[in-house]
Amino acid sequence: MAAPNLSHDPLGELPLIEGTQTDQTINDSLLTHVLRGAGKGWWMLFGCALSMLGLLVIAISWTLYKGIGVWGNNIPVGWAFGIINFVWWIGIGHAGTLISAILLLFQQKWRTSINRFAEAMTLFAVICALLFPLLHTGRPWFAAYWLMPYPSVQRIWPQFKSPLTWDVFAVSTYFTISLLFWFLGLVPDLAALRETTKSKTKRFIYGLFAMGWRGSGRHWAEYKWAYLLLAGLSTPLVLSVHTIVSFDFATSVIPGWHTTIFPPYFVAGAVFSGFAMVMTWMIPARHFLGLKHVVTMKHLENMNKIMLVTGMMVGYGYLMEHFIAWYSGNPYEMGQFFLTRWHGPMRWIFRTMMFCNVVVPQIFWLKRFRTSIPVMWVAAILINVGMWCERFNIVVTSLHRDFLPSSWKDYAPTWVDLSLFIGTIGLFSTLFLLFLKFVPAVALTEVKELRHELAEHDVVAGETHA
Amino acid sequence: MSAGHEDSGFVARRFVVAEFATPEALLAGTRKVREGGYKDVDTHTPIPIHGLEAALGLGRPKIPTIVLCGAIAGICIAYSMIYFCNVIDFPINVANRPMHSPPANIPITFELAVLLAGGSSFFGFFTLAGLPKPYHPIFESEQFGRAAIDAFFLSVELPVGADADRALADVRAAGAASAELVHESER
Repeated sequence: MAAPNLSHDPLGELPLIEGTQTDQTINDSLLTHVLRGAGKGWWMLFGCALSMLGLLVIAISWTLYKGIGVWGNNIPVGWAFGIINFVWWIGIGHAGTLISAILLLFQQKWRTSINRFAEAMTLFAVICALLFPLLHTGRPWFAAYWLMPYPSVQRIWPQFKSPLTWDVFAVSTYFTISLLFWFLGLVPDLAALRETTKSKTKRFIYGLFAMGWRGSGRHWAEYKWAYLLLAGLSTPLVLSVHTIVSFDFATSVIPGWHTTIFPPYFVAGAVFSGFAMVMTWMIPARHFLGLKHVVTMKHLENMNKIMLVTGMMVGYGYLMEHFIAWYSGNPYEMGQFFLTRWHGPMRWIFRTMMFCNVVVPQIFWLKRFRTSIPVMWVAAILINVGMWCERFNIVVTSLHRDFLPSSWKDYAPTWVDLSLFIGTIGLFSTLFLLFLKFVPAVALTEVKELRHELAEHDVVAGETHA
Repeated sequence: MSAGHEDSGFVARRFVVAEFATPEALLAGTRKVREGGYKDVDTHTPIPIHGLEAALGLGRPKIPTIVLCGAIAGICIAYSMIYFCNVIDFPINVANRPMHSPPANIPITFELAVLLAGGSSFFGFFTLAGLPKPYHPIFESEQFGRAAIDAFFLSVELPVGADADRALADVRAAGAASAELVHESER
């Protein structure tokens, strides 16, 4: 059996690395997009992203100047876009950690081509997420002693029994650990970039960030452990972050929030939306950056399978919410789930959510759709929309119809709310486009390692190279 | 013999840098060179290679212990911080709930344990590795850049006064495809 490419993988017939590759070809092909100048397409996208970022600057300035009264939320809808977007962005980040940490611990070889990309998304998504609670405090410059145990002259401390302070620790830890993990993985790749580039300036800058890495065997011995332990720590961390975010809701008594299924259901939803966001960016990126030989159809298919599974977990969450509402016999719970959500003024958001999150992923049962690029891209975007609608339902729909009909009030966002949301998409895109331009989008060293492993495997399996 | 300037008291460190064709050859070569009595042997590879720790004669990695200490420190700091803030220094009575409520303290204790454990993994590694270190004599080798791309190198630091020609011959005999001598530059 001749095996000209490195197709040998016990999991299936599709290759993880396409074509005949050596370390040199992998190195060069994965670094091309960093070393060549920015193309027209990149500048166009970057221009769009920057203008959306401009909108963010305007919206933030206006919010800080006038106060959060310029946002649409008001009692009883005390939380709205600020919290929806916070939860949505944090959730998007979760795919990165899942891919890089959990799949590493499970020794899933297919993670190597997409982990760097997804980890970068985690960082940028968490930056976007962090903006919202900070602005939501109204006076972020005071937030230091509201949120952190900062020893001020007033001698007051945060109330650590509140899930909101748990959130502060969870999200800031999540950001820090994701950053360290991402950078540690990047160091050998930056060294490769330092040695590959022809430009003196680039060599200096990449050399600076490569920290003088020289691939020393003594360093590798500790490095492997440092990396593995960071992965091991990230795994419970990523589960804890969205669990704690869900506690913000679940520990209250609002019908629609007060439910024990929230932690697992939030984590599943986070992974679901995170994979959808990875797909949204990965499909165009692998085309334009020339990464098709390392991000193969097998990777995309695997990601679709994960979306199918997590989508069904989310669907189960919806089902259980309804069941428990009925089973509790509590009229407010039943009213929330059977009347307000399906038939209330926000019903279209709820129905869009049901369609995008429960119906759309079901197409991935069919291999034809799992392996069709246009289908999966559209599905991924719909899932992003659906997951945003889910957070809208949880936050706004639950709040605007609570116990007393006299306190019911409808909600509409203002231009500032919308600009902040669009603006964070701009911030995310700006950071991400810069990442694609300056940092290797694929974990080079890990792909080389995978190539060696697969090649060895082929030899062991008694297959000859053509 | 040395390229150093005696008047400034600078003695250049000398390294034999040798390239091996495959990771397997590097492993065997490393073992042979070490058996030949050379102390300061190191390898330079673009990817971590299975079995190198044994070939280099390295002991148990230190990172796991450092990380464990970080995690324990995180747990202690977090729990005592919460206890001090909410029980000793600024107790708030909310509906007569206990001031010290262990279940409510778990999330922050966990997060701080992860933060300090992860931080000690990262900073512990860089400290152990002695990085960042922008200059190392081995970068003087023209060929060495490829150690970050696709080549497998062995380096031996020669003690002052050691015979460089003999070392080069020994490394070649251990299976090196090529070998050269590099000197630290004075700066």
